[in-house]
Amino acid sequence: MNKRVALRCLSILSFLALWWLGSLFSAPEILPGPVVIGKTIVDNFTTPGPEEKSAGFHMAVTLARILFTFSVAMALGIACGLIMGLRRKVELAFGYWIPLALTIPTLLAVFLCVIWFGFSEAGGLCAVIMTVTPFVAVNMLAGTKALDKELIDMAHAFKADRSLIIRKVLIWQLMPYIFSAFRYAFGMTWKIVALAETFGLKYGIGYMFTFWFEQFNMAQVMAWIMLFVAFMLVLEHGVIGRVEEKIFAWRPAHAG
Amino acid sequence: MTSQAVVIEGLGKKFPTPSGLGEFTVIDSLSLQIARGSFASIVGPSGCGKSTLLNIIAGIEPHDSGEVRIASEDGANPRARIGYVFQSPRLLNWLTVEDNIKFALEAQSIGRGDWGERVRKYLDMVGLAGQERNFPLKLSGGMQQRVAIARALAIEPDILLMDEPFSHLDEITARKMRVDLMRILERARPTILFVTHSLREAVFLSEEVYMMSIKPARIFKHLRVEVPRPREPEDPRLFDLEKDLVKEFFAVLEQDNR
Repeated sequence: MNKRVALRCLSILSFLALWWLGSLFSAPEILPGPVVIGKTIVDNFTTPGPEEKSAGFHMAVTLARILFTFSVAMALGIACGLIMGLRRKVELAFGYWIPLALTIPTLLAVFLCVIWFGFSEAGGLCAVIMTVTPFVAVNMLAGTKALDKELIDMAHAFKADRSLIIRKVLIWQLMPYIFSAFRYAFGMTWKIVALAETFGLKYGIGYMFTFWFEQFNMAQVMAWIMLFVAFMLVLEHGVIGRVEEKIFAWRPAHAG
Repeated sequence: MTSQAVVIEGLGKKFPTPSGLGEFTVIDSLSLQIARGSFASIVGPSGCGKSTLLNIIAGIEPHDSGEVRIASEDGANPRARIGYVFQSPRLLNWLTVEDNIKFALEAQSIGRGDWGERVRKYLDMVGLAGQERNFPLKLSGGMQQRVAIARALAIEPDILLMDEPFSHLDEITARKMRVDLMRILERARPTILFVTHSLREAVFLSEEVYMMSIKPARIFKHLRVEVPRPREPEDPRLFDLEKDLVKEFFAVLEQDNR
């Protein structure tokens, strides 16, 4: 353990030290130090902020939005990618839609959705789904290209039916692709949710960035950013990393 | 009730040429009968269509002409159980050893109540008792192939197809596997159709040897190996048989080349 953990701690500490040093040489309205920010974060949780909503409430709103859009985008993307990958005709017909969708800049997608749906919950959530889905689909499509035909033949030789083949042969071969899509899509989702919140959605962590930014309260803006980063790191490494370890236990590299 | 486990009549198979323009004949009017309970080998050079023949029998590849009939033990069940051991183990690496065997059992709609007993019995038979919960990639190549053999035996097949199952192993492991296979088959005895390019392997293992020529594949010689079991790999009678067959093989190859 200890060398790796020690190194990581050292890297976090050196980041905090740099930040603290920087704060010594600049005005508190420009770059507040880590201690102030830490205190602000704690205060935000204990005492209600604007409109009597505490930090916990905004985090819950953001998390709900991320989970909803992420689930929809993953489901849609996996379905589209699989249908295209397993049905040659569908791929020929709709294959070009993916690069088209991938090319639209994220920011523009948010603007488009705001124009179509107004500054509403639906508009923001649509923008996220619209941008993330094609990334998932393109990953799944790549996964279907790498399926091992020998294993499928083996399954047919033992007379496995379609459902058994999907459950025990196909899904597992696609798992690395599903996971890389999962990680990537998750990273995209939270960034775009934060963007949509900053631009138009009510409540949520991104909404609080704008709120405090308009008051020129740098300590609060940074407190919310740090909270957001910490929150996402925990989600990515704590939750997704664990699930991944479990699912890939069969790979020798993961041997315990 | 029939005494033949596999009957193949006038089988033909064509593949498109790589350019996609024409077709070439891989198997041409091939006929073959395998008696129930026998261990039959098909020997032929690489690329002669042996694997294609097994795939057609297994029903994973269509054929263009002729007929393939497979009868189950009681002759009444039209869908005989076919076990298949491939050149490479073709295990589902994400499932444990035990679950790989259960995959075949589930595929064959064998009642869940029997699974535990079958897994135990056949893993024990191939010498892998205790490996139930291990993952395939943590086993050696030889052990993986044993799992593949257990998987094929566990469905208690009427016919067991084996496609050069030891050709990917080093010679020492392969040799041990052949001897073990003989011992296993004293306890579980389906009809076996074994494909190999090694005459030595064929005469050691089988009761019937069919020799196959290349392009298109046809059977040019059928031979019974009368040496009683258990056999020793070094049995001089097997060596003599092998020598004769090699001679015959070259004679046919020469003829084909002329």
